[in-house]
Amino acid sequence: MNEKNINCPNITMRLETASVLVNKAIDAVTMNKIQKRNLIWLELTGCSGNIISLLDGADPDFKSLATQMVKIVYDNSLMAAEGEFAMEKLFNMLGKDYILAVEGAVSTKDGGLYNVIGRFKGESITAYRAIKELGEGAAYVIAVGTCASDGGISAARPNPSKCVGVQDLLNRKVIKLPGCPCHPDWFMGTLAYILLFGEPALDERARPLMFYSTLIHDCCPRHPFFEQGVFAEKLGDETCMFKLGCRGPVTRVDCPIRKWNDRVNWPIGDNSPCIGCAMFGFPDKMKPFISYNTT
Amino acid sequence: MNDREFYVNSIFKEMHSTIDSLYVTCNSCTKNTLLNSLRKNISDLSVLLQGAQNDVQKNNTANAPDIISSPNKSFTRAELSRYNGKNGNPAYVAVNGTVYDVTNNAAWAAATHFGLTAGRDVTREFTSCHSGQPILSRLKAVGKIVT
Repeated sequence: MNEKNINCPNITMRLETASVLVNKAIDAVTMNKIQKRNLIWLELTGCSGNIISLLDGADPDFKSLATQMVKIVYDNSLMAAEGEFAMEKLFNMLGKDYILAVEGAVSTKDGGLYNVIGRFKGESITAYRAIKELGEGAAYVIAVGTCASDGGISAARPNPSKCVGVQDLLNRKVIKLPGCPCHPDWFMGTLAYILLFGEPALDERARPLMFYSTLIHDCCPRHPFFEQGVFAEKLGDETCMFKLGCRGPVTRVDCPIRKWNDRVNWPIGDNSPCIGCAMFGFPDKMKPFISYNTT
Repeated sequence: MNDREFYVNSIFKEMHSTIDSLYVTCNSCTKNTLLNSLRKNISDLSVLLQGAQNDVQKNNTANAPDIISSPNKSFTRAELSRYNGKNGNPAYVAVNGTVYDVTNNAAWAAATHFGLTAGRDVTREFTSCHSGQPILSRLKAVGKIVT
């Protein structure tokens, strides 16, 4: 099925979207047609899975992004500076030009006290304060991953720290790249597009159409089984997992084409139902992730 | 299902898919292609409708099968709750007093949909999320709710 699909121009072009954009952005920076812009990457209330995912990017890879496309000013997982020195770099960007990428939700209970990202001038800096101060002044804000986009796992019931997505705290547009984690292509392609052309075309939920325009179900290599009513009865069956609770029919993103881990595979390709991790409402509204006694 | 019903259902499915694509495409060439596809679908439906009318006249009988069946079963809320898509039961939901079959509806995998379960009246949730969207016309109506 996949070997046949590779001849489809729609699929081939989609596979190249991110690398074409990143290469164009790098060329434009190299030829001084555009400026290398500052990038701040904030890790808030989450698992740091999105920065790990970004580091796993391939064609385009993270090295290209970090060395040739943007200037990464702050990322607590990657930068050499630490403590007060790191926070100084972060807050020195206020009033300057920067693009803000945020992973993780924002804890709001008790003034955000349940997520302190550092100390600066003797004060604890909460994720809540960081996003309020840095979010409004950024040239663009990109919510990377489901937690930043919609609260995600950090905001799952009972949500003890009252986590919310970034958009809930900012009176400005936030470009959303939901996914648990966000695919490296989705972030790098969106960032490259911003550098080259400004804001990309977005859907009604502020997701870039170039990555989030089709349902997983519509591009799924097992879709013919759904149409024929041939359903998997247990994990491992290589047919449509609709009856097991697959959320591909309600999840809008291009996993079946792009795949993961250097484009090796993706959940359904490995006989696991889609759990809707890139859909708003994940995880609470995507449950149950697996079900065995359906009709 | 006879051949004609099969073709009509296939065309409706294709039209819904085309309309979904029209919502998200920005490219004018793609839009024109999709609109042409809709025109072709309408043309095909006209031919099928004409054929159905000819058959009805030919048989001259009031018992000719309708292409679209009408729901006639009544459900209490307690009865509806049994159709939860579990243990061999089909999955039904009620919206605005009409009961719909969502057993094989793609968005109702494992008889659940965004935290909702089948066997319930979901009018309030439907209105808050899907108002104005052409969703109910795609579902098979199987009955009415009685109070």
